[in-house]
Amino acid sequence: MAVNEQYAPHGRDAAGRGGDNGVVGAGAGGSGDKLATYVDIEFLTPENAVFSKTPGGFLRLVKDGATYERVSLFRTFPFTLGDRYLSVRDLDGKEIGIIKDMDVFPPEAVEAFKAELARRYFTPTITRIKSMKEEFGYAYWEVETDSGPRRFTVRDMQQNLFLISPVHVMIVDIDGNRFDIPDYTALDPVSRKYIDDLL
Amino acid sequence: MDRLDKPPQHVTARAAELGIPPEGVVFAAAVDLSLDGGFREVWLVAGSDLLLILDGERRRVISVKSLGDVKADGFVGNGALIAKVDGEPEVLCRYTNACARKMHIAARVLGKLAAGDPVTDEDFRDDKHVQACPKCGRLFPDPQRQICPPCFDKRALSLRVFSFFKGYRLHAAAIICLMLAGSALNLFGPYMNGKILFDEVLTPGGRYEGRVVEVVLLMAALQLAAIGLNVMHARINAAMTARVIAGLKARVFEAMQRLSLGFFTSKQTGGLMVRVNSDANNLQYFFHDGFPFFVVNLMQIIGILSAMLALNWRLALLIFIPVPILIAIMRWAFPKLWTLYSRRHRKLRSMTAVVNDALTGVRVVKAFGREEQEIQRFGARSYDVYSVSVQTGYFSSALWPAMTLVMNAGGLIVWSVGGWDVLEDRITLGTLITFTLYLGMLYGPLEFMTHIVDWWTNCINSAQRIFELLDSVPDVLEKPDPVRLSPIRGDVELRNVTFGYEPNKPVLKDVSFTAKAGEVIGIVGKSGAGKSTIANLISRLYDVEKGAVLIDGVDVRDAAIGDLRRQIGMVLQDTYLFHGTIAENIAYAKPGATPEEIIRAAKAANAHDFIMKLPDGYETVIGGRGRDLSGGERQRISIARAILHDPRILILDEATASVDTETERLVQEALERLVQGRTTFSIAHRLSTLRNADRLVVIEDGKVVEMGTHEELDAKQGVYYRLRTKQEEALAIRGVAND
Repeated sequence: MAVNEQYAPHGRDAAGRGGDNGVVGAGAGGSGDKLATYVDIEFLTPENAVFSKTPGGFLRLVKDGATYERVSLFRTFPFTLGDRYLSVRDLDGKEIGIIKDMDVFPPEAVEAFKAELARRYFTPTITRIKSMKEEFGYAYWEVETDSGPRRFTVRDMQQNLFLISPVHVMIVDIDGNRFDIPDYTALDPVSRKYIDDLL
Repeated sequence: MDRLDKPPQHVTARAAELGIPPEGVVFAAAVDLSLDGGFREVWLVAGSDLLLILDGERRRVISVKSLGDVKADGFVGNGALIAKVDGEPEVLCRYTNACARKMHIAARVLGKLAAGDPVTDEDFRDDKHVQACPKCGRLFPDPQRQICPPCFDKRALSLRVFSFFKGYRLHAAAIICLMLAGSALNLFGPYMNGKILFDEVLTPGGRYEGRVVEVVLLMAALQLAAIGLNVMHARINAAMTARVIAGLKARVFEAMQRLSLGFFTSKQTGGLMVRVNSDANNLQYFFHDGFPFFVVNLMQIIGILSAMLALNWRLALLIFIPVPILIAIMRWAFPKLWTLYSRRHRKLRSMTAVVNDALTGVRVVKAFGREEQEIQRFGARSYDVYSVSVQTGYFSSALWPAMTLVMNAGGLIVWSVGGWDVLEDRITLGTLITFTLYLGMLYGPLEFMTHIVDWWTNCINSAQRIFELLDSVPDVLEKPDPVRLSPIRGDVELRNVTFGYEPNKPVLKDVSFTAKAGEVIGIVGKSGAGKSTIANLISRLYDVEKGAVLIDGVDVRDAAIGDLRRQIGMVLQDTYLFHGTIAENIAYAKPGATPEEIIRAAKAANAHDFIMKLPDGYETVIGGRGRDLSGGERQRISIARAILHDPRILILDEATASVDTETERLVQEALERLVQGRTTFSIAHRLSTLRNADRLVVIEDGKVVEMGTHEELDAKQGVYYRLRTKQEEALAIRGVAND
């Protein structure tokens, strides 16, 4: 039975209307200029922004003569762009600018960025699933992660299992803690089966 | 006295070493993340002078006085306790969300210790604190329901399910008897067919030789009788089950109505509707079909096995050769099949969701020209359904024949061995035929048995969800012997109110203000500042965490809820009109209203005229969202409803947003009539709607920042003044001429 080509799946379907173009294209071209006439993104570069690490481990920014004792980094597209296009905001949540690419900054700054991101985003990667039991609407997981072994509970398993790409799975537990499996097909067969049975 | 957590011996010892003796411990708390992001147990021990952070071998000793600005900051999937140590912000410890509540309390207490303020038990009070199951130590997954699913007493649950049928003992007894009789009759069939027919009738020298017709008639009669009994018991069962389930659904609906608003916002309403219908139906199917089938089949199996053993125990034992193989196959294959079925169900739901989405949002799809992409999206989901259906099909098409093969193998074995026996004259042909007929009758029930476990589990799951509803205690409970507040004067006071929909995320922080009877108070603030929350608290749809809401000097928690609700009215931005006539909607709060009263209310709300333009007038049926009416028309019906309700306290929540200017004028006029003589809280972020407010309360970030009349606030040139000028500028820029 030949598979009808029309029905072949496209990527990123679960996460939204990704489609062929992809929301995140590499340079949208013409329309980008027009958008810039409405409001411009302030991109932060080593020329206009100096980042450093405070003794307490936070990120400090000096820009245009103003010192921000503590700024936070937010990932705009955490799943597809990772550490690119980071939104830099002050303590009140106001955006100061966007860092397109970390690597253009000096190594000390990059180190400070990474520390800040590691603090804000904590999503341990599951390396092995020891057991998972579903009972009465709750799922009890016991896993090994890159941060150590962990047990957690998930309520409404189906609602809290997210397919970020056809192989990238994220699980959110009852407290809102997140667990990541970048490629569930790369897990050992026993672990993989747990995920297969849920999808 | 254990505050927050009870530290183990080695931690207490360490703390003592480092300067906090056991009696000097103000609190101890365990968190689950180390600073470098590893899962580890880290202990915080706080004394009145020192704070200790113990992470395995590492330790940190901080003087409490050097702490400032202690905060529990929440991030993605974790949080951190951050404080200024000697002026320099630092991370004291990190934790996953599981410890968030604990850490908020810890932060508060440390703040107090740093300031030298006394710390009491009150500071550790966490009304919504999570408990652990006493039996297995696991946290209750749902803190509002003290249920630990793994430790759940399934037996008790099962008994409870059966208790629904308590009043029908006679029925149940009748059904069981009929089933038994029916089974017995069924068992006669093969006996008649085989032994009697062949041995005694058709064989020369048999006892009933030649009396074929009689025997056949007897067999037919037995069949009919068996069918008759079946029909009888099925009818009794159907009536009984239907009645029990209908009663159950009524109780569930009743329970849902009793519950407070918080329950509905936390679980999706759709899921609840599923519970009332689908879960109750599951129970019905089970008791209507599943359970009787189970009993009957069980009887059959026992009956058949006994009959076979009685007839010829040697052959009977031969049965057990294919049966274990069959059972083994079923136990291996069926779970796989069920997994496939449930996966297919999920994919199907996913596909349906896409269809739903695209069709409900068809305007947007067309406006952006995305039909092609929607087709592809659907295609992808449809492909998933197809691919798992193929898998399922392949699997089941291999499974059933395999099982049939094994079943037939049993028959073959019996035929061969039995046949040999017949030839050797050890048994009669009739016996053999009876035997094989019994064997055939056996497989059906056996196969059914494999389903029953699943069916029962489904039933139990459904029952549990239903019990959850029936057992739910509403958050907002009426005090026994409440204060009757009728009639209300209308003095409202909020006193030091702190509240949040989620624990530790307060939306209102220490809010206080008063409103005298008849005053119109405007509540101003940006979106999300907490304005609508105030409305919810005044009518006691939620209970405050701290502080109190007082009406006529009585705490709403002490008042009778009925009195409150009757005398507090709301006109919301999102008008919900029930499926019914316009008249029914207007008279919702006053079902016995006369037509004259309804018309009066509608006239006052400037709704009468447009209603008269509709062909059915006041008896026009409007839908759930009033689909056929414009926003402004729905608003005005909603106002008419409030006018007829005639509440002493009125809450207007953004009541004139999103309508055109002409309609706004009409609505505004209607509202002005409505608020006459009532204490009104008008919530808006468009200041023009608050023209007629006696006083204004400005809320920012959950706190009251300004309070007073228009003139007073203008003079202050504070937040209100800035908001007002900004809005006026915005209107001026648009150069809007009111047409």
